[in-house]
Amino acid sequence: MTIPVGAFIGVSAVLFFLGVAGVLIRRNAVVILMCVELMLNATNLALVAFSRRAGLPDERGSVFVVFIFVIAAAEVAVGLAIVLAAYRNRPTVDVDEVHAMKG
Amino acid sequence: MPPGPFGMDPAIWAVLRLVVAVALAAGLVFNGALAQIYLERKIQAIIQDRTGPMHTGPYGLLQTFADAIKLLGKEDIRARLTDHWFFLAAPSIVFAPMLASYVVIPFAPGVVGADLNIGLLYLTTLGSMTVLGIVLAGWASNNKYSLIGGLRSAGQLISYEVPQILSLVTVVLVVGSLSMVKIVDSQQGFLINFLILPLAFTTYFIAGLAETNRVPFDLPEAESELVAGFLTEYSGMRWGLFFVAEYGEVTVVCSIVAALFFGGWHGPLVDVHPLIGPILGVLWFTLKTYFFVLVFMWVRATLPRFRIDQLMSFCWLMLIPLTLLNLLVTAILLLVFPDNILPVAIANWVMLGGFAFSVPFLQRRRLASLRARLAARAAA
Amino acid sequence: MSSEIIEQALFALLTVGIIGAAAGVVFLNRITGAALLMAFTFFCMAGMFLLLGAETIAAFQVLIYVGAITVLILYGVMFTPQGDRDYRLFFQTQTPWAALFVVPIAIFVFVTALFAFRDSGNAGALGSDLGPLATSVFRDYAFPFEVASVLLLAAMIGAIVLVKRDED
Repeated sequence: MTIPVGAFIGVSAVLFFLGVAGVLIRRNAVVILMCVELMLNATNLALVAFSRRAGLPDERGSVFVVFIFVIAAAEVAVGLAIVLAAYRNRPTVDVDEVHAMKG
Repeated sequence: MPPGPFGMDPAIWAVLRLVVAVALAAGLVFNGALAQIYLERKIQAIIQDRTGPMHTGPYGLLQTFADAIKLLGKEDIRARLTDHWFFLAAPSIVFAPMLASYVVIPFAPGVVGADLNIGLLYLTTLGSMTVLGIVLAGWASNNKYSLIGGLRSAGQLISYEVPQILSLVTVVLVVGSLSMVKIVDSQQGFLINFLILPLAFTTYFIAGLAETNRVPFDLPEAESELVAGFLTEYSGMRWGLFFVAEYGEVTVVCSIVAALFFGGWHGPLVDVHPLIGPILGVLWFTLKTYFFVLVFMWVRATLPRFRIDQLMSFCWLMLIPLTLLNLLVTAILLLVFPDNILPVAIANWVMLGGFAFSVPFLQRRRLASLRARLAARAAA
Repeated sequence: MSSEIIEQALFALLTVGIIGAAAGVVFLNRITGAALLMAFTFFCMAGMFLLLGAETIAAFQVLIYVGAITVLILYGVMFTPQGDRDYRLFFQTQTPWAALFVVPIAIFVFVTALFAFRDSGNAGALGSDLGPLATSVFRDYAFPFEVASVLLLAAMIGAIVLVKRDED
């Protein structure tokens, strides 16, 4: 066990917060989707690291990760469908400019 | 880590082994591509009742070398508005996964790069990475035709991954392991998987034709369609790299067919001698693989091309329900009759017969409905 | 030179790859570059899974993320061309607020994560994860598996309906 589990969780934490920063800062809807995928990846890493290093014989964390894969794929598909539909309405993907329902 | 020969440092030996392995695989791929280019031209020529290359060297054997030297000497044209880094990276992204596939292919007992216990999953994963390279190639060329060709090819590749993986899963159900070596080991003597799962073989073969962009599914790279699809802006050795990647992928698909469905390196006299055995095993494996490569080329010389909508509807409306049905029936029969493959074999042959004989029936129905619609439109 | 040093060197390389590529995704102006750096992050993440010994999950990561989701995102980038504008407005007020909230929490979580967890006693004794994963998914968690397939069906139908053009 040359690499302590804390190292993996540390990497996962940094990746997660980079994803959060991306969602807060960026204006392009597709890039926001990409940063959400980064957050999901960070979660996957934490789950698999805990599952493998806890010594449990059944891979409970990995099972959860499989379901996260499924949900992430579904979410990207639907999210991009929404972005494309909005782009067809008015040719912009800037989330600051899609505020027709505001106020 | 094991120490190397002459007492070499284990770490240096590990790196040296890696370099030698990659060089061997690359040599295999390039030499295989050379052989296949020559074979393709000769076989197409024979089927089309002509002679093929005869001038360069005896019986045109040096033709491929001449082509390769020409490709290497071509000017490296770079259009100004292309996205330079992606344009350069795309052939490598298509080539690298194919090269990495050679790690798990079992050439002979004991002659395999790495006996991964997820060998088959590893191969399908690498097959799905080529889509990225093709989309990049189409997009980076800054060319309408390339973009449409790239997107069409990506759509075709993603669609045909599903029947491919489902056929492979059916074989894994019967064998019980994802490891390529165990799958080959489980087919002793005459009990090859083709006799048990012929429908899986057929669907995997068809999906493999589509995955490698071969006729009749070569719409994205056909020279008479969309100029040349996503290959339009690539010239010289970059195009050559795409081409070698395609032939390498054909070899990988045919190796999987030979290993999974026809017993891999099993053949007469393989288990006889510990030294001669592996060499004979490699020989049988190569013969089986190249038999299927020749069938690929035979299909190329024989069949016309699918249109993109015919291609997609064939996949989603016919192949995927068929492979799903195959998987369902195999799984149920394996549950009901455990350790007995005879019901599975009977069911598979029945389904294959049904598939083969239902095609003209369905075609006749479709023609009749088309005629009825035309008649209705002419009358109206 | 031993396998420990190689393992640690690999871990360091993969960490640099992940964090660097993720920073590129967040801060790069060129969207296509960001998409490919995201694919690189996914690839390095698969390497991390391999370091942990979860080989099936690593294969699924490459298959699903690099093979499918990256292509989806590239399609989204290609069909919504915006030009490479600067990633934030000149008078955008979000970046300082984001920094104010995210950075302290990030530092706190990072330090906690590094030092609060211990490996279990038999952590190194686990073999391949293929068998236990398959048993768990198809036996203990079979119902969530079925629900996940219904979810995929719903997502597929929803995506198709959303991008369908209204044909007159």
